[in-house]
Formats: sequence, structure tokens, C-alpha cells
Amino acid sequence: MKAENLAKARELLQAFPKKSSALIPILHLVEDEFGYIPKAEVDVVAEIMGTTPAYVEAVLSFYTLFHRQPTGKYLIQVCRGLSCQVNGADELSRFLYEELGVERGGTTADGLYTVEEVECIALCKDAPAVQINLDFYPSMTKEQLKAFLDKAAEEVRSGA
Amino acid sequence: MPEMRLLFRDIDVPGIDRIDVYEQHGGYASLRKAFLEMAPEAVHQEVLASNLRGRGGAGFPTGRKWGFLPKDGRTRYLVCNGDESEPGTCKDQEIIYTNPHLLIEGVVISTYAIGAEDAFIYLRGEFKTGYAILERALAEARAKGYVGDNVLGTGRRVQVTLYLGAGAYICGEETALLESLEGKRGNPRLKPPFPATAGLYDMPTVVNNVETLAAVVRIVEMGGAAYAKLGTERSAGTKLFSVSGNVLRPGNYEVELGKTTLRELLYDIAGGPPEGREFKGVIPGGSSVPFLTPDKFDTPLDYESLQAAGTMLGSGGVIVLDDRACIVKSTLRLMEFYRHESCGKCTPCREGTMWLNQVLQRIEDGQGRPGDLETLADLCDNIDGKTFCPLGDAAIGALASGLKLYHDEYEAHIAKGCCPMGEVVR
Repeated sequence: MKAENLAKARELLQAFPKKSSALIPILHLVEDEFGYIPKAEVDVVAEIMGTTPAYVEAVLSFYTLFHRQPTGKYLIQVCRGLSCQVNGADELSRFLYEELGVERGGTTADGLYTVEEVECIALCKDAPAVQINLDFYPSMTKEQLKAFLDKAAEEVRSGA
Repeated sequence: MPEMRLLFRDIDVPGIDRIDVYEQHGGYASLRKAFLEMAPEAVHQEVLASNLRGRGGAGFPTGRKWGFLPKDGRTRYLVCNGDESEPGTCKDQEIIYTNPHLLIEGVVISTYAIGAEDAFIYLRGEFKTGYAILERALAEARAKGYVGDNVLGTGRRVQVTLYLGAGAYICGEETALLESLEGKRGNPRLKPPFPATAGLYDMPTVVNNVETLAAVVRIVEMGGAAYAKLGTERSAGTKLFSVSGNVLRPGNYEVELGKTTLRELLYDIAGGPPEGREFKGVIPGGSSVPFLTPDKFDTPLDYESLQAAGTMLGSGGVIVLDDRACIVKSTLRLMEFYRHESCGKCTPCREGTMWLNQVLQRIEDGQGRPGDLETLADLCDNIDGKTFCPLGDAAIGALASGLKLYHDEYEAHIAKGCCPMGEVVR
């Protein structure tokens, strides 16, 4: 972890009545920094928490927002809840797989995009819903997704 | 009856997430009233008198739940359940994102009422933006003295801590939520002991849903007796319903319990089916409850009437399917969800959801065999009431009822070796 996050992690140990509660917030720091939870960081987190790497693994493997493999700069999560499904969620996923040449859960070779299908994200009234890096994108269409991908690609080009 | 906006009274006010706007619309008046004019027990009495029932899904009377805390001097906690993960439910999300001060006000009043000093708001991991919205709102509330070590100068301390989960449906179950809040895997605990006696960090704890705590603000404002006059005797007050799926105007709608029928909600308020379609069925209380077919649409929306009609009010997540939807595919989709979300702790749930998923998949794929429907019913029976926590019963709610109400559709899949609806479901 970068020094700033290490300092935040140590602060989090004091943020709750019991230290154990800091584990999930600290894992969020790691996920945010790296886009996943690298093995080496599990050891760092275990040391901060005063527990074993095995325990940290046991906890983080329970939660779907913690990734074990690197994810793309943009983590695109298509909701596959029933309300989204009957409003075309499967078409959105298929479009992304074809457009980006990845399979479910896969990351593009350039490391730009990861596409996941996720369970209900509580945006049912705005189906079909997508979240990108946990920002909500309600009532999405293939055209809107295409526009997002084009804009993101352009930003990366101009930034490089 | 049309909508009755009590919790959603100010939901459309621009900038209601800002404390000055919130105060201009009467915000924090209930908190002032509670802290400056009422003893904690008096607030509890109003909530008892209101007949408010938990809005997360179980519908347990809130005032009674508060009353279960032992009077033994131990530290107590209030935990707000903002894990909102029940498929079809997005009402708490709208409160958190649009009117965060309403939730904070309800949390602080309730913490005071149960004699606690520390409250925790547990949000599902996906509500990262909601966390930031609440964080900013909390800072505003602290600056105004509504939250802190000396609330409104009364010497009373109420601190509110935010917590972000990390993606797990089961953490909406209160004991699993407490495990997660303690930094562990979200496995449910054995009950008893209930959280009231041994909850967060083994201390007496009340866990209440977002909508429940928001309702407390209105109860203090109008008085418990006035709130109890809304709705029916046993289903008091108003309730938020999230209407989604195949419907013209999906949205969160607030209605008085028992005074509005499902038909009125679906047609008058939510605009009816999409053009040229007909409704086929509704799952009215989140994905965990049995289907209602259109012949039952005149059922009033309250706990008792929906139960008498064979389903449950649950979370108020109304998932609507029209005549394009394949029931086999829909129940398969739900079963994939429960299989994924089963924590794996107990056998009937872990194994049962996996087998139900596999048998449903082969029926949907046209590989169904004679006897498969009996197998599904038998598997449901082996889960029903036999799991460690409510997830097992939740998993079979829609399927067990679907097998009865839409039996022909399952039969047709097996007999024809394909989905008779073809690729109709998108």
C-alpha cells in the first residue's frame, strides 16, 4: 500500500469500538488502490490487523467486491437481477462481450475494461442498470454503452 | 387510493440533501422535539403507539423490538440496515441518495430512544456514492449539533459511524450483518441469543431498516396515535413499494397500507403494462416471496391481505412480469441468485440451491426429464423451514409457487424439449 493508505489503515484501527471492524474498510483501501487484492497486500493487511494472512483470505473471499485478479481501469458491472433481465440486461452483456472481445468476468488485453454480470444492485426502477467503478448508470442502452466506451478510449488516447 | 407521501414528502425538493434546505422543510424538528421535550422512553412509547412494523421484510413491530433490550446497564448499539440487496427493492437507495438527512435524523432519534450512544449505518458495498453522500450530510449534522458528544447542548451523546459492506446478499440478514460489521465473513448466527441481548460486539443491539428509521421521524412529528390511524389496524402507516420489471412507469411509490390494491398500484400509479402487453404475474415483496397471478390483483397492499392471498408484503419490491416473460427462465434466474448468495454454512441451502439451479437449467435448455418437476418440488420441501437462516425459505418462495401457478409452462418445456416461448424473453 502507498504510505497515505497505510496511514489511513492505521487510523481505521481506532475508528470502531473494536479493532476487528477495521478489516473490511482496510480491504476497500487495497481494492481501490490496486483494482484487486494482491497476495502481498494480504500479508500487509494481516500484519496491520494483528491476524494471519489465512484469516484475511477467509474474510475477503466471502465478498464479491474484492477481486483476486487485477481488474481493468473501468470495471463495468451489468446487473442481471430479474427486473433488469426482463428489460434487456442480457443484450447489454452480450454487446459488451462482442465489442470488447472478452468473456464474462474477463479483462481486455490493454487492461482498460473488465466486464462482469452482477446480482441485483438496487436500481430496479432504472432497469437495465449498469455500474462502472460503482457509479450508477441507470436505464442503459447499447448506444449509451458504446458512447461510454468511445469516450473512455478517447480519454486514454489523449492522456497518453 | 393514490400515493400518500409521508417519508417521500420532500423527495422531489431540489437540494433536500443539503441541511439548510432540509431544515427549511421542517427537517430536524422531530429531533429537536425528541431531545428537548421528550424522555427517551416517551419516544419509545410513541413508536409503540404507532404500530410501526419493520420495513426491511420481516414486518416485526419496531417498538416491541426496542423493548427486548435488557435493562442491565451494558452498552447498547443501534445498527441501521442499509444493505438493501433483496432483488426488486430499491427504496432505501432512494432515501439514502436523495434525502440522507431524513435517515440521519431517524437514526439519531432512535439511538436516543433506545438509550444508546453509538449508531452504525451499514451500507451495501455498491452504495459507495451513498456512503459519500451520507458522510457529507453527517458532517453538516455534526456542525449543527444534531450529532456529536453533546446533541443540542443536552449533554446527550450520539455518534453515528458509517460502514461499507463488500458485496453479499446474506449481510441483509441481521446477524450476518453484525458479523460483517465486526470484520468477519457474513455467516448468520444461531438465534437465540437474539441481537437484543447479544448483538454487535456481543452487546444489546437493535437492527432496523432504513425505511423503518425514516418513519420514526414522522412518528415523532405527528405522534404515534396519528400514525397508527394511517393504514389498517395491524398494518399501520405508509409503505414504500419499488415497482420494477415489465411496467410502464417503474419507480418507488409510497402508499397507505391496506388502502390501495395491487391493481391500483400497477395500473393507476405505475401506468399498467407496456404498450400492447398484458401482465402475467407479480412477485410483490422482493424476490423471496410467492407469485401473485392477475386474478389476485385486487388484493389490498398490507401484511395480512397479501398473506391471505398466498404471498408476503416482504420488502415491498414489486417485480412485474408481462406475457413475454418465461416463468421457467425467471425462476431459474432467481435460483442462480440464491445459489450464488448462499453462504454455504448449512447443507439444505448450499446443496439445495445448487440442485434446484441445475434441474431448472436443464429444463430451460430443453433437456428436462420426466420426474423433474417432482424433483424440484421435493428439493423445495427439503429446504422449506429446514435451513439455518431465512435464505433457504427465500430461495424457494417464487419457485415453489411458480411450480403450482404456472405448472403448464414447466410441463411444456419438458414435453417440447425447449422453451415454448422461444427467445421472447430478452
